[in-house]
Amino acid sequence: MSPKREVIVSSARAGDAGTRSAPSLSTLVRGGDFIFVSGLTAVDLRSGKRMRDTTASETRQILTNLKQLLEAAGSSLDKVVKVNVLLHSMLEAPNMNEVYARFFPEPPPARTVCGARVPDGAKVIIECTALA
Amino acid sequence: MTEKLQRSVVEPKNPRLNVSRSANLPHVPGIRVGDYIFLSGMGPIDPQTGERNHGPIAEQIRTTLSNMQHMLESAGSSLQRVVRVHVILADISHAQEMERVYRELFPIDPPARTVWSMQLRFGNGCEIECVALAA
Repeated sequence: MSPKREVIVSSARAGDAGTRSAPSLSTLVRGGDFIFVSGLTAVDLRSGKRMRDTTASETRQILTNLKQLLEAAGSSLDKVVKVNVLLHSMLEAPNMNEVYARFFPEPPPARTVCGARVPDGAKVIIECTALA
Repeated sequence: MTEKLQRSVVEPKNPRLNVSRSANLPHVPGIRVGDYIFLSGMGPIDPQTGERNHGPIAEQIRTTLSNMQHMLESAGSSLQRVVRVHVILADISHAQEMERVYRELFPIDPPARTVWSMQLRFGNGCEIECVALAA
């Protein structure tokens, strides 16, 4: 039987609303045994407003949203297998780590952190793959 | 006990798009394993000539995604089966132009996606990789 693909959260429902049209991505997609989460930037999930703050604050907002999104989909932070973190500057890695460490239960998932140019003036992008 | 998973190589039907082979690079275009297909990062290659296409960024994105479609279809999958995409741009200011073309190829229920910018080789304006469900 071929594995099932299902969009669990479309981008419109995960914030980034407002005047711009929603980007062409799904925030959570289930494929087979895994959930694939798009690169998240800091957004207030209730108002859909973008949040641009310090690296620590953006990290906190993103991981709060990630927790909520995964739990709503029947998964959770302790089912995450791999995380990629993109930072606007690697000098900010300790600021991200300090917040990050408080979110994931032991043992935390595998992770890569890179310095990169990220869109829309964000300082942090976090994406992950989790068990469904 | 679960069956042991086997890897198999995914190759494009159009040999001009088999860039890793023609450039003798140490990777394959993609690997199929279990339910998934993992494609290597793809750049803008003209499917007629096998040469790099360094036209406007919109054209580069369209060429790359169209080649990705070919690669997936060669393995019995399709763009509709893609679950995750990474779009890497040489210039982050091309993000909106990328978005415009991208939505033409993923009009409904698009995959999860992350977009960022970092240094790319060969003067390419974009590199795109994906994970898709096998047929």
